Amino acid sequence: MRSRDTGDAGAVLGREALAYVDTLHNLARYLTGNETDAEDLVQETYARALKAADQFTPGTNLKAWLFRILRNSFLSSYRRQRASPLVGGLDTVDPANQGVADEAWLRDDVELDRLRKLVAAEIEAALMTLSEEARTVILLDLEGLTETEVAEVVGCAVGTVKSRLARARSALRLRLKDYAR
Amino acid sequence: MDCEDVRLQLHEYQRGQLGPELHREVRAHLERCPACAHEDAAEHALTEVLERKLPQHPASLALKRRLAARWPAASPAPRVWWSGWRRALVPALAAAVVLAVGLPLWRALAPGGREGAAGMVAEAINDHVRLLQRDRPLDVESGGIHQVRPWFAGRLDFAPVVAFEGDAEFPLQGGAVGYFLDRKAAVFVYKRRLHPVSLLVFRADGLPWPERGLTPVGAVAGYATVARGFNVILWRAGDLGYALVSDVDAQELARLAAKLARD
Repeated sequence: MRSRDTGDAGAVLGREALAYVDTLHNLARYLTGNETDAEDLVQETYARALKAADQFTPGTNLKAWLFRILRNSFLSSYRRQRASPLVGGLDTVDPANQGVADEAWLRDDVELDRLRKLVAAEIEAALMTLSEEARTVILLDLEGLTETEVAEVVGCAVGTVKSRLARARSALRLRLKDYAR
Repeated sequence: MDCEDVRLQLHEYQRGQLGPELHREVRAHLERCPACAHEDAAEHALTEVLERKLPQHPASLALKRRLAARWPAASPAPRVWWSGWRRALVPALAAAVVLAVGLPLWRALAPGGREGAAGMVAEAINDHVRLLQRDRPLDVESGGIHQVRPWFAGRLDFAPVVAFEGDAEFPLQGGAVGYFLDRKAAVFVYKRRLHPVSLLVFRADGLPWPERGLTPVGAVAGYATVARGFNVILWRAGDLGYALVSDVDAQELARLAAKLARD
């Protein structure tokens, strides 16, 4: 049962936190790879947010704070479980599978057109083959979070976000090559 | 600056987030380095594909209802209402209808009304949400500001003054005719990556514009706030009022507002 203080803090945090449920669910869906686990993860996220509401500093970025709770919940809940075959592992992007071959891909307009003609399911499938961290930084970047906010969510130095994002996008481009034939 | 340095900066370069000097350096490098120029095009294509085609997975209504039911209420008032609903159902419903219809408009339009600014903010958010819920949010798709702005001619009783034609950071998507409280509004829709941003332009007269807590917005003073998870900036310039609404970050919205209100 939550305390009166926690309840008050949750009320102060207000329903503004609930306004981010769609974007949180989207990340949860891409982290877990299925709807049921995504819903569980979002519910766990809000339960934790409510419990820790008095630790949130008004005026700071609520969305980034919620994303951080969601990702930490995901890591603590799912790291112990065996990774789904549909979902890339939790390790960082495999350096052996990126970068070098990328130079030879998307080198001309024809290949760029092939990339643009990919359908939604192919792009989603390619993204799901990436590691959890790579998916997270790509999605947070698409959500418009700044490097500082992404660093806060994934728990790394601001300076390393840029290189992690570059590696993740490079890996994604490489995976998309398999679909763009 | 070598190729490796440039490629690390490309993403922010395309977002327009580099400082002026670094931006110039990257642009100069791209003009003389075909390999990096290809890389620039490839990164741009990837961003475009992700923003346009990557499936989005919003939460189900059932999940939203479950979460809303568990979240603590901001005040005990709703609990009191529900506990006595059997006795008070009919008069409460009647009062609710009157208040729901009349109060927002009265509050928003009452000169100097305490709730005036809040009413304008709520209306701006409602307009933004209504627009997004339409099957076809845009009445006119953007071919640039010089196509969108003339489209409003004959559809409004004023000429919307919007000089910002969009850029790589905030591309203009198009426009639509809407209403702001009791008057027609021109709605210009910009985009910040996946997030739509609505700019409502309407006649400013007779509205309870906030006079305290103003911050600089471009060349004018505006009122910035957050409500229901949306950031909102209100300002007026001459006879026209402007309301900018989106769920993008407050700083990003302020940056767009500064571009819109720079003259």
